[in-house]
Amino acid sequence: MALEKLRRIDDTKIEVPLDYKPGMRVKGIIYVDAILEKALEPQSIEQVANVATLPGIIKSSMAMPDVHTGYGFTIGGVAAFGLKEGIVSPGGVGYDINCGVRLLKSNLRKDEVISQIKDLITVLYSEIPTGVGSKGKLRLKSEDERRLLLKGAGWAVEQGFGTAEDLEKMESGGCIEGADPSLVSDKAYERGKAQQGTLGSGNHFLEVQYVDEIYDEHAANSLGLFHDQITVMIHTGSRGFGHQVCTDFIQVMARAASKYKIELPDRELVCAPFESPEAQDYLGAMKAAANYAWANRQCIMHWTREAFMRVFHISPGKLGMTLLYDVAHNIAKVEEHQVNGEKMRLIVHRKGATRAFPPGHPELPEIYRKIGQPVLIPGDMGRASFVLLGTEKAMQETFGSTCHGAGRLMSRHQAIKKAKGRAIWREMEDKGIIVRATGRGTLAEEMSEAYKDISNVVDVVHKAGISRKVARLRPIGVIKG
Amino acid sequence: MKDFEIFDISGDVGVIAFGRDLQEAFVNAAKGMYSLITDPGTVEERTVIDITVEDNSLEGLLVSWLNELIFYFDTYSFIGRKIEVNEFTPTLTLPPRGGGKGEGEGEGEGDKIASQPTYKIKASIRGEEFDQQRHEGKLLIKAATYHKLKVEKINGIWEIHVIFDI
Repeated sequence: MALEKLRRIDDTKIEVPLDYKPGMRVKGIIYVDAILEKALEPQSIEQVANVATLPGIIKSSMAMPDVHTGYGFTIGGVAAFGLKEGIVSPGGVGYDINCGVRLLKSNLRKDEVISQIKDLITVLYSEIPTGVGSKGKLRLKSEDERRLLLKGAGWAVEQGFGTAEDLEKMESGGCIEGADPSLVSDKAYERGKAQQGTLGSGNHFLEVQYVDEIYDEHAANSLGLFHDQITVMIHTGSRGFGHQVCTDFIQVMARAASKYKIELPDRELVCAPFESPEAQDYLGAMKAAANYAWANRQCIMHWTREAFMRVFHISPGKLGMTLLYDVAHNIAKVEEHQVNGEKMRLIVHRKGATRAFPPGHPELPEIYRKIGQPVLIPGDMGRASFVLLGTEKAMQETFGSTCHGAGRLMSRHQAIKKAKGRAIWREMEDKGIIVRATGRGTLAEEMSEAYKDISNVVDVVHKAGISRKVARLRPIGVIKG
Repeated sequence: MKDFEIFDISGDVGVIAFGRDLQEAFVNAAKGMYSLITDPGTVEERTVIDITVEDNSLEGLLVSWLNELIFYFDTYSFIGRKIEVNEFTPTLTLPPRGGGKGEGEGEGEGDKIASQPTYKIKASIRGEEFDQQRHEGKLLIKAATYHKLKVEKINGIWEIHVIFDI
């Protein structure tokens, strides 16, 4: 490929110029420093360029520093399209609709938890369904499911899982408006019936962590974070329900793309004009799936609180386990942005990218209006995770978006090969991290070396100014599927 | 001829399935996929499901076929072991597109697709309910994708390349 055409803009980003590939309507921008540039796959660059050929794309096709090759769009991709001339693409959201992360903080300190971490992880592991072929504790009737799809996390709260206060501290209040359950296939309904309140497998996890470094005392204070504080991070999405919605609409969109004569460099980029019935139907179903995911994380949070209370024999008040924030990192949303000095409504696709809205943004809850949106970035299970804040620069440069995680470095099989003959759980335990996983292969596939170093990724977005570091969290216990 | 091979791409996993005819290649693609979920040797033939899938392109049929099996696994925990194809139409001996653009990813043939015959596979699959106690859970497959999808005949053998979102 025309790799020599790439141009470094500054320390934190490179440009994929318009002549990189025929048909590009805008340039590509990839946020990587010199270290992460070495890990950049040629195919990801190609995908950034492919997205730049889509109708109605605004400003540039972007990739965050955790970029890696996906289907059609890269993982770590951000692309915004005009509502008149632009498109909607399920591939720009991904199969796991509203895969996302939530962070809970507590009144507990590391030294109060560490002696009982094994018990805690055992209880969490038994209370929260995980892994391939696992079924949830909830069985939804179609009518329940319909209400859940309309209400998102609010549905879970109605069922007694958590409190109304939790809802304020979620992106979109844990419920995106405009979900239309009638656009969801019977198959998706069926697939979603037993999967509400389940963690899933792969890179999904629940992690008990502590705050080990604070970069911005003032911001940490405002977020209620302090040194050695116990936090819990939950990473999961809309499970089989969302996968089915995506699967269904990839078919619909394949027909739509040819109907509207949209030229595609890759079939996984199938899409339809924003105003077309196909695109609107997808968005209605996608929002339903997004709400399924918010309810899912809410249920899991509730059982996490219960597990803590049981293990430490403390009251909810003493535990003080409250939601810090919940972010989606696979979603498409209509948002208002400034383009060439003009306010425009755009459909922003974030696939493996996190919204990072600045202080003062009207979509932020009152409590975070002053400091900006909390951005939660999970790392691999052995290293660290980060709390950041959204910035004005993100609004100007990346449609208010930043990275979403570490990004894989090794394929699953490479990781398994590398882990051969090693007991990853023991290596983790030696580092002070207790892990429980359902699948034997999961730990090998998910070991630290299989991922880019999250610190490098976060440093790039911090230096680029598209979000700013507040605190680092270290894991002490992990459950995985 | 092997039934299938597993191949590796960053973050996800693919299957290359072989067959003396398309039908056999479709069956082997499904077997390859099941082998990613659990060890096929541990699956018993206790129940049977009947599946019918139709699509207006061969690639579409393959993706829909695998996605149907993923749906049965993810929804009803059904994991298959033995696959019997009862109907496969049309039975093709040549690639469906007349040697046109090869890797065109389906583009440009949209109008043709509509007028093409419907592709159909009807199969009975014997297997059982997945049980976390008896079956090792390997990968949770979200979907079969069109990413780098290939269905082609090489030296008389059909070869399918399909990548799964994990």
